[in-house]
Amino acid sequence: MKKILLIFLLLTVLLIPFRTYSAYNYNYRGNAIPSQTGYTVEKVAYFDLKEPQDIYYSGNNFYIADTGNDRILVIDSNIEKTVKIYEDFIFHDGTETKLKKPEGVYIYDDKIYIADTGNERVIVSDFNSVVIMEIKKPVSVIYSQDKTFIPEKILVDKSGNIYVISGNITTGCMMFSKEGEFIGFFGANHTERTIESIRNHFVGDKKKSRLKRNVPTGINNFDISRDFIYTCTVNSERTSDIIKKLNSAGKNIFSNKILHFGDYQPEYSESGYKSPEISDIDVSENGNINIIDSATGKIFQYDKNVRLLFIMGGISGQSGGFDGPSAIETVGGKIYILDAGKNNVTVFSETQFGKKVHNAVDLYNAGYYAETLGLWLEILRYDGHYTYAYTGLGYAYLRNGSYKKSMDYARLAGDSELYDKAFQEYRREFLKKNSGKILLLIFTVSGFILIKKRGKNN
Amino acid sequence: MKNLTEIEWLKYAVTKIPDGFVDMYWKKSGSLKIAFAILTAFFFGIIAKDRLYGFQFSDGYERTFNIIPYLMKSVVLFLMWTVGNWAVCTLLDGIGTIRNIFIYSTYAILPYVIHIYVNIILSHILVREEYIFMELTEFVGTVWSVILIISAIKTVHDYTVKKTFTAIFLTLIMMLIMFVILILFLLLIQQINIFISQIFTEIIYRLRD
Repeated sequence: MKKILLIFLLLTVLLIPFRTYSAYNYNYRGNAIPSQTGYTVEKVAYFDLKEPQDIYYSGNNFYIADTGNDRILVIDSNIEKTVKIYEDFIFHDGTETKLKKPEGVYIYDDKIYIADTGNERVIVSDFNSVVIMEIKKPVSVIYSQDKTFIPEKILVDKSGNIYVISGNITTGCMMFSKEGEFIGFFGANHTERTIESIRNHFVGDKKKSRLKRNVPTGINNFDISRDFIYTCTVNSERTSDIIKKLNSAGKNIFSNKILHFGDYQPEYSESGYKSPEISDIDVSENGNINIIDSATGKIFQYDKNVRLLFIMGGISGQSGGFDGPSAIETVGGKIYILDAGKNNVTVFSETQFGKKVHNAVDLYNAGYYAETLGLWLEILRYDGHYTYAYTGLGYAYLRNGSYKKSMDYARLAGDSELYDKAFQEYRREFLKKNSGKILLLIFTVSGFILIKKRGKNN
Repeated sequence: MKNLTEIEWLKYAVTKIPDGFVDMYWKKSGSLKIAFAILTAFFFGIIAKDRLYGFQFSDGYERTFNIIPYLMKSVVLFLMWTVGNWAVCTLLDGIGTIRNIFIYSTYAILPYVIHIYVNIILSHILVREEYIFMELTEFVGTVWSVILIISAIKTVHDYTVKKTFTAIFLTLIMMLIMFVILILFLLLIQQINIFISQIFTEIIYRLRD
């Protein structure tokens, strides 16, 4: 009898799902706390890739910039088989040309835009490998001719303008018109204002020419979503402009916010902390921002108001881990990560928890606070420490009229503004309810004081 | 003149602005017990300000609590003022004893100490938009205390107004010097500690072999 019980107990161990990596999130203080995964690995597909650098989804196909093999690989939307390979291109006059180490690919308006990095040019071709346009180093007054043209990533906006990130340019990304004419630079990073820059302001001209120039870092990658271009910069010493949301005028919508991307520095131990280096960004249909932190190999997902939702991935040999994640793409509810080290594509799909969170967050961001109440409570059953749920519940209870509860959740979320709003309403309610008693108290106390004073005078 | 209890002297000194301290001086009153009480209230007030404010104004969350900064901000700062003032004013022909300087200075900071507690209570009643009232108490508390300190120093050393300002200015410089010396002293102690521990470990290792 005991033996059977023992075997039964041992077998129950098999029921525990072994996760290949620990899931965590951050609370409002920036401390890492265990959490639930929002996405799990659905599939890992290997292809004959070599150091691929970019992936893009269009028209039911994935286009991968297979850099090491000098070609563009097209796979179907289920990541199962190769559909087409683009290697050789033909110009209108018949001359053939090959790609060399292409690092960026984009599809727009039935045209393939390739950042043909090794050949220092951008190729725009149709689906039959016929080259429509070739953009080489621009001859322009604003472009200093001693800088080689190293197109790395490419993007096209809805007017057909072509944006190219060039490897050695620090003044933003290059902007070309639909016809391939160089228009100018777009979205440059700002330099950091340091003590040195203030001192340099007072230095004479002769000395200035010998000083080290304070040059901003260049943009590393970008993505376009609903007419906003989101850029990201890798330099880990920067504190501002790591991710920018630029409108068509080049103004950074995130400039007035204090944002932090990636891991927070742990409060008490420095070991194991690497400054985040955001190497790719992708914004999904509903506005969620997904970024790759190449220092730790992790993927961070934020909602459209840059609140942390999930963290996944990491550097590991198992599926769900990466060796050198180079590009990220979101389609539907799934996230596709291209790994240049392992030469594969990892597909993440939402878990139950992920679905619930996305549901709640979408309603919350649309302003339907009261409807999210039940959703947040369910989410707290999965992960009792999910900070976004606390803020969400705070606002939901505020709309409902349970002000004390709203204040409690605001405290848990660390949101003093919400606490202020809830406290205002709570105080109003309190005074309304107890105004009689308070007035009575004031009158008795002032009565006592007056009697005491009169007694003293006598 | 008047025969008041010590607490009544406290109220008198704080409220009667030009003459309060003068009367106290000629009546030779001023209790050391009350002075220490005010200093401890100051210390607890500074701590409570960081921890007990209403959440809409400041988040009092701390994973660890370190008492040294609070000690420095209140007790050590005040003691440096007292000792610095006594040192400087001796050179400037002041006649105040350190006991009197201590007592009169603590009486002078009473409005400041009270304003801290009033603000803590207000922070639980007010909303962010009404922060102006807390700023008002802060202003009143600080200005009143400054006026009282000037009056106290003037009375205790029997200075003219002009000399009082010189004395206060030199006291502040003296406090800075004392602070620098304190830091150097701490560094020195640290170095001695490192030296001794290194020698100790060397001896232990030699003994082992």
